[in-house]
Amino acid sequence: MNFTTFFKAAPDVPLNLQLALTRLRKVTCRNPVLFKSVIIRVNITALITAITLMQTSAAVFTPKISLAERNVTITSNNSFAIKGKVSDQKNQPLPGVSVKIKGTTNGTVTDLSGNYTINANNGDVLVFSFIGFVSQEITIGQTANYYIQLKEDAKALTEVVVTALNIKKEKKSLTYALQVVDGETLEKVKTPTALGGLVGQVAGLDIQTTTDFFQNPGITLRGQTPLIVIDGVPDPTADPYKINADDIESITVLKGAAGAALYGSIGINGAILYTTKRGKKGVTEVELNSSTMFQTGFLAVPKVQTQYGDGNNGIYSYQNGSGNGLEGGGWVWGPALNQKDPNTASGYLELPQFNSPYNPNVTYTYDLGNGTTATSHYKPLPWISRGANNIDNFFQTGIMSDNSIAITTSSDKGYFRISAANNYQKGVVPNTSLNNSSFSIAGTYNLSQKLTLDGRLSYNRQYSDNIPTTGYGQNTLLYNVALWIGADVDIRDLKNYWAPGEVGLQQSYYNLSYYNNPYFLAYQQLNGYHSDKTFGNLSLNYQFTKDLSLKLRSGFNSNTVNEDEDYPYSLIGGNPDGNFSTSDATHFDITTDLILTYKHKFSNNFNLSAIAGAASFFNEDKGLSASTDGLSVPGQYYLTNSINPITGSNYLDQRQINSLYANLDLELYHFIYLSGTARRDQTSTLPLANNAFIYPSVGVSAVLSDAFKLPEFISFLKVRSTWAQVNSGAISATNPYASINTYNNANKFNGVSSLSYPTSYDTPNLIPNTVQSWESGLAIGVLKNRLNADVTYFRNLEFNNFQNITPSQTSGYSSLLVNANEFVNKGFEFVLNGSPIKTDNFQWTSGFNFSNNHTWVKSVTYDTYGAGYYNQYLKVGDRIDKLYVSEGQFSADGKLIVGANGYPLSALYSTPMGYTDPNWIYGWQNTFNYKNISLNISVDGRLGGLNYSTVNEKMAWGGTALSTVNQYRIDANAGKSTFIVPGEVVVSGSATYDSHGNLLTDTRKYAPNTTPVNYISYMESTGGNPYQNNYFYYSGTYLKLRTVSLTYTFSKKMLSKQKAFKAASVSLIGNNLLLFSKLPNADPDQLGNSYETPSTRSIGFNFNLKF
Amino acid sequence: MKNNYWLLSFLLLGCFFSSCKKFSYYQINPNLPTQADPSLLLPNVEQIFFSTISVENEFSCRYMVYSESADNGQYYGWTRGTFNYTNLSQVIKMEQEAARVNKPNYKYLSKFFSSYFIVGTTQMFGDVPYSQAEQSLLNNNFSAAALHPVYDKQEAIYLQVLNDLKLASDSLSASGGLINNDLIYGGNITQWKKAINSYYLRVLMSLSLHANDPTLNIAQRFNEIVSNPAKYPLFESNADNAQLQYYDIAGSRYPYFNSSEAKIYYLMDNSFVQLLKGLNDPRLFVYGAPTINATSAGLTPTDFNAYNGVQGSAVISVIQQQQSSGNVSQINSRYYFEPANEPSVLMGYSELQFLLSEAVIRGWITGDANSYYIAGITAAMQFSDYSFPAAQGVPYTGPLYSDNDIQTYLSQPAIPLKAGTEIQQIITQKYISMFMNTGLQPFFENLRTGFPVFDVAGAGIINQVNGVNAVPKRWMYPIDEIGNNAVNVNNAIKSQYPNGDNINGVMWLLQPQ
Repeated sequence: MNFTTFFKAAPDVPLNLQLALTRLRKVTCRNPVLFKSVIIRVNITALITAITLMQTSAAVFTPKISLAERNVTITSNNSFAIKGKVSDQKNQPLPGVSVKIKGTTNGTVTDLSGNYTINANNGDVLVFSFIGFVSQEITIGQTANYYIQLKEDAKALTEVVVTALNIKKEKKSLTYALQVVDGETLEKVKTPTALGGLVGQVAGLDIQTTTDFFQNPGITLRGQTPLIVIDGVPDPTADPYKINADDIESITVLKGAAGAALYGSIGINGAILYTTKRGKKGVTEVELNSSTMFQTGFLAVPKVQTQYGDGNNGIYSYQNGSGNGLEGGGWVWGPALNQKDPNTASGYLELPQFNSPYNPNVTYTYDLGNGTTATSHYKPLPWISRGANNIDNFFQTGIMSDNSIAITTSSDKGYFRISAANNYQKGVVPNTSLNNSSFSIAGTYNLSQKLTLDGRLSYNRQYSDNIPTTGYGQNTLLYNVALWIGADVDIRDLKNYWAPGEVGLQQSYYNLSYYNNPYFLAYQQLNGYHSDKTFGNLSLNYQFTKDLSLKLRSGFNSNTVNEDEDYPYSLIGGNPDGNFSTSDATHFDITTDLILTYKHKFSNNFNLSAIAGAASFFNEDKGLSASTDGLSVPGQYYLTNSINPITGSNYLDQRQINSLYANLDLELYHFIYLSGTARRDQTSTLPLANNAFIYPSVGVSAVLSDAFKLPEFISFLKVRSTWAQVNSGAISATNPYASINTYNNANKFNGVSSLSYPTSYDTPNLIPNTVQSWESGLAIGVLKNRLNADVTYFRNLEFNNFQNITPSQTSGYSSLLVNANEFVNKGFEFVLNGSPIKTDNFQWTSGFNFSNNHTWVKSVTYDTYGAGYYNQYLKVGDRIDKLYVSEGQFSADGKLIVGANGYPLSALYSTPMGYTDPNWIYGWQNTFNYKNISLNISVDGRLGGLNYSTVNEKMAWGGTALSTVNQYRIDANAGKSTFIVPGEVVVSGSATYDSHGNLLTDTRKYAPNTTPVNYISYMESTGGNPYQNNYFYYSGTYLKLRTVSLTYTFSKKMLSKQKAFKAASVSLIGNNLLLFSKLPNADPDQLGNSYETPSTRSIGFNFNLKF
Repeated sequence: MKNNYWLLSFLLLGCFFSSCKKFSYYQINPNLPTQADPSLLLPNVEQIFFSTISVENEFSCRYMVYSESADNGQYYGWTRGTFNYTNLSQVIKMEQEAARVNKPNYKYLSKFFSSYFIVGTTQMFGDVPYSQAEQSLLNNNFSAAALHPVYDKQEAIYLQVLNDLKLASDSLSASGGLINNDLIYGGNITQWKKAINSYYLRVLMSLSLHANDPTLNIAQRFNEIVSNPAKYPLFESNADNAQLQYYDIAGSRYPYFNSSEAKIYYLMDNSFVQLLKGLNDPRLFVYGAPTINATSAGLTPTDFNAYNGVQGSAVISVIQQQQSSGNVSQINSRYYFEPANEPSVLMGYSELQFLLSEAVIRGWITGDANSYYIAGITAAMQFSDYSFPAAQGVPYTGPLYSDNDIQTYLSQPAIPLKAGTEIQQIITQKYISMFMNTGLQPFFENLRTGFPVFDVAGAGIINQVNGVNAVPKRWMYPIDEIGNNAVNVNNAIKSQYPNGDNINGVMWLLQPQ
């Protein structure tokens, strides 16, 4: 190789240099253009005869060439243009990266495409720095082009995060608590909603999952319902099903009013911000993500006794399915199953049952099992536990299949991403399924050098022809499958659910006073759900100068939901002639923001960033519903088939908020950060005189580790504090007209419309309930940030609360809505992250969070209930979740008082039992990486808090609970009363109470209760209280193994052998795997705990391919 | 320059996307009105006060027995009652709207409903707020006094009611405007006057223990009405009954239609079955249902032997065991299979006849007590002579007794009034006529007269007075009043009940002079 060849190969070089050397051993330099000085080493034996330099532009380059012995030195005293590009590790261009020549003030920043140009001299050192990334230095020496890849700073504490209004800020500058969940965590283990993946991940965020289709999970952030925001656009309808989890780049949780104050009134309870994926500059890629999970078994399901069948008082004999007489009223307190009886053909007790052959000409005489005989035209059948596995036999294996494809592509002007996803679920209930499909396009485009367009449009369709009906009720499934059915009935015998000869008219079942055949419900009582959701946003950013920009962002959510309900003929709990109802609801909201941003670095010690904005929010809900009154033709589900005139209703709700806001952030001396925001909302939901409010916030944080020399093991230390005041901007979150006292519609009787007057009165000039939120926190990183901890303490003073004070109802009003009382909501949040083990091949990273919050009554405005009383029972200083139950009368030392009849006396006042809020909620995520294998394990749970369990109460009441199998039951079946309620009877004296139920005087004398009662009657009358002693309130403590995923990622080396895939991984995944809980028969994590579909364990696999 | 156009166009977009409605636009609720013609409030008020059918009353009055679980009404184990002043608020609101649009007839109907409300309330508790009640709603008065109304003496309440009813009857007139949307009388003012006057007589009779009170002057008031039928018309037949007719239309059906509970757990009380059997009263066939065993044995629904009751005061396990034996009558299936069934009666013609009969006996008016009494029974039997249309689940059609059967019934020697037992006979017949109807009236009649004697012999009875099972005399004051109006309710308790607020306290109304 010689110089000539080389220089020709570099045509950019504006210089032609010809050297004639006889022999050249080694060339160590490539581009003398940039050289201040170059030494060309030649072979010691080389003979240099001539060096000719020809230059094209002397003004640019005046080299000096000197020859000494075997060295050639070319010297330049000019600087040259260095060009290049800066990207991150994922090859995404990084705009705004500072490029500086070390030791000078000369510098530039990269443009939107990450490109930079800078004049430098040979030998200069360029410093590339960007917040959130490790700075990199390069010595100018060899080329004019430097492609720099910046590494993200391993110290997550310097990451850039999305904050309110989608403003990106350096995390270490934040003055309030915030947690970010990476979208990647949602990719593998699928839950039906994009929220499901957040369970246990964020301190202070409590999500109660749901097993039901298109039911929103219960979500509370510091005890309140947060605002959902997608790409900066608030989504007040907050449907977590409409977001494709694979489209999510990251989720930011702003934990309180302090972080979300810039959203104004709607941000009063904090916010969850979804940031969706856009695409990557310079990357064209197709990504397939596919998960299939099987709901193979129940995590929590009612466990019923299978030793006693249907009936009452130990007697059962099928009569006509009415429940009357020997059928025992529909109870499951019947005779013992599998009783031996030597006098029958089968050797077991034989009784007429619902599936007995009927012969009017034969009268069967049989023993009821208690020595008395009865007769029937129904043939007695063996009374055995045929239906011991009814629950398993009824439910089927559910399937949840998620498939998504995403294509990203780019040009020099921009980049975009198109995605499509489908989620299909086959329910565990027969004949139920759902589909949830999403399409999305998102991208960024540089319309000109200064104007950037960014946008996203998503369409989502959710549909199911049949969502199972859940809860406690006659037409719900678990009610009929797991509660009101004895093991004498085999559910598999019920699959032919029409009565013979009455198809479409009359279902068949063992009891038709109260209950419905579960198969009849699953296949005939259908609930259709169809929803179309379109949502998106468009933003235009105009960069006036490096410091000043203006952004216009407009986003909308448009939803329609159509629900149909088919009620067949003979449905118990419905019109015997069937019914059909349909409803349509449309929602539209649009939020437009105009934001002026100014950022300037005044000096090394003073950095300023300010925004000023205006926003408009408009929201409209419209709905229409109609139903038939009986069906003329059975099985035809449309309105015109109604027997009587159809009934219908509609509504229109509109609201608007106009806002102005500003935000000022200051950085002082590289470690002190000051932040202030103010927002003025004017809202349509309040009377004109009183409809505008200003919401301020101020905060400070100090990164002490950047300012002071701290002990070696502390690598990061930050303290922060923020104060904000926000009000709710409305009297009701759901009714925009709540400030107007109106009549209500009353029952339409025989075609005559009517109105009623609500006796709850909203007093005039209400101020929206206001929160003064103060929080402080400390973040610390130790051992080179191997372990990070973040602690937050918050205290919300809630005042101007909307309180329904109850005057005497004889005043004409049963409640008055006033601004009254003060509450304090306080809590701690702890987040720990670390890498306990880190070797070349093996790494264990772990994140743990736990949090609590409670609310106390701080002061009481009206002494309606007596001085210092917030209501009849709670007073100043009490937690408002203190649970009072009205379950009985008690002695001064808390013993239950029983009446002369052996039953507990009815309560005169309620008595305290505990608290309903959990003491703590916690979550623990672990990732183990070994070479190409990665294992994720996530557990979470709650500690404490009492929850009422309808499931357990009804099971004890109905006779299906395992605990009802005991000697008392045997005695009761034999007609004996042997159960003695543990309690005392009053033998003399009396007690008086104040109006709060506190004892004033007490002269009662007691003796132990000795009156036995019939156990079955007692259980039926009381549900078993207080025999159960907890009144069916259970501790909410539980620990759940939420998700496990084991992933194998194919290495680049393995993939290099083929051309098809750039990246590939395969995972074994599991969700909802193990539960340790104090609540029997139900999942404590489940919303409601009242006969929802049982919680299932899901196991499956995931494929992720990129090509 | 090009960039500036871009900037301009997107600023214009910003304006376009912002809503431009004025905030005053949102100050009107497009879904619900803030003012209403009284005719739109009347149907709701009528539905509230004419819905008198509740099985709870039937359990307490020994008509029916609840077998699902131990019921406090059945076992006289109740403690507190509830106030329903929100219902009175609907009446007050109607009165207010009537004044606003100057339609005074609605005001006088309001006087009637207010009176009916407060009589029902004071009969349950004793002294209750009335003269100072509803001030917040009426006058937007939220003073401490208005929010915590004082309690009125029961006697004062009755005096006010008597005056208001009189005023309503005197003032209703064609010149007061049409009464629209009237579910009861279709706007017929004369029929409203009949109802108000007839009810006025019921109120007077409820004060029979205070017949000698010179302030109330009951006999004279009673006579004033009865002696002037032109000015004070009274019910003339069942067609004048103050009752709400049900229809097979959504929202207008019989309250127990399709009730699962009614299909199983409402049994006939043995004391009531024996009373009907003893009198060979065919109303048993339309009130109750033959037992399962009787049906199996082939007995017809018109055979008295097909019916059997269960002792409502027995402990629940005994009741359930008897039901399980198949030998207990349920209520008649029409109560849960017939969507229209029979109307809900606030007060019927038969009750008026029984009142007139009793007034003759008491010497308040002159006349033939027995004819009034017989007319009462006849009207009651005609009312209950339910004609069964062919309907799903109802195994038989047509009426179960005829006018001839009624005559046969009346001709029995046990029926006509006998000297010395007139009151008992009248009240007993009134009791029989009020099965599944007329609210708690039979219970209040029992408290006033002691007839018929409600069975408390069973072991299930909870309430005792001096160690002896007893029917309670009242309900304790509601828990919300204890919480929200403690001073006034406690004063009322102190002034009325020396033994405190308990269900055996004897209120002024029940204290013999």
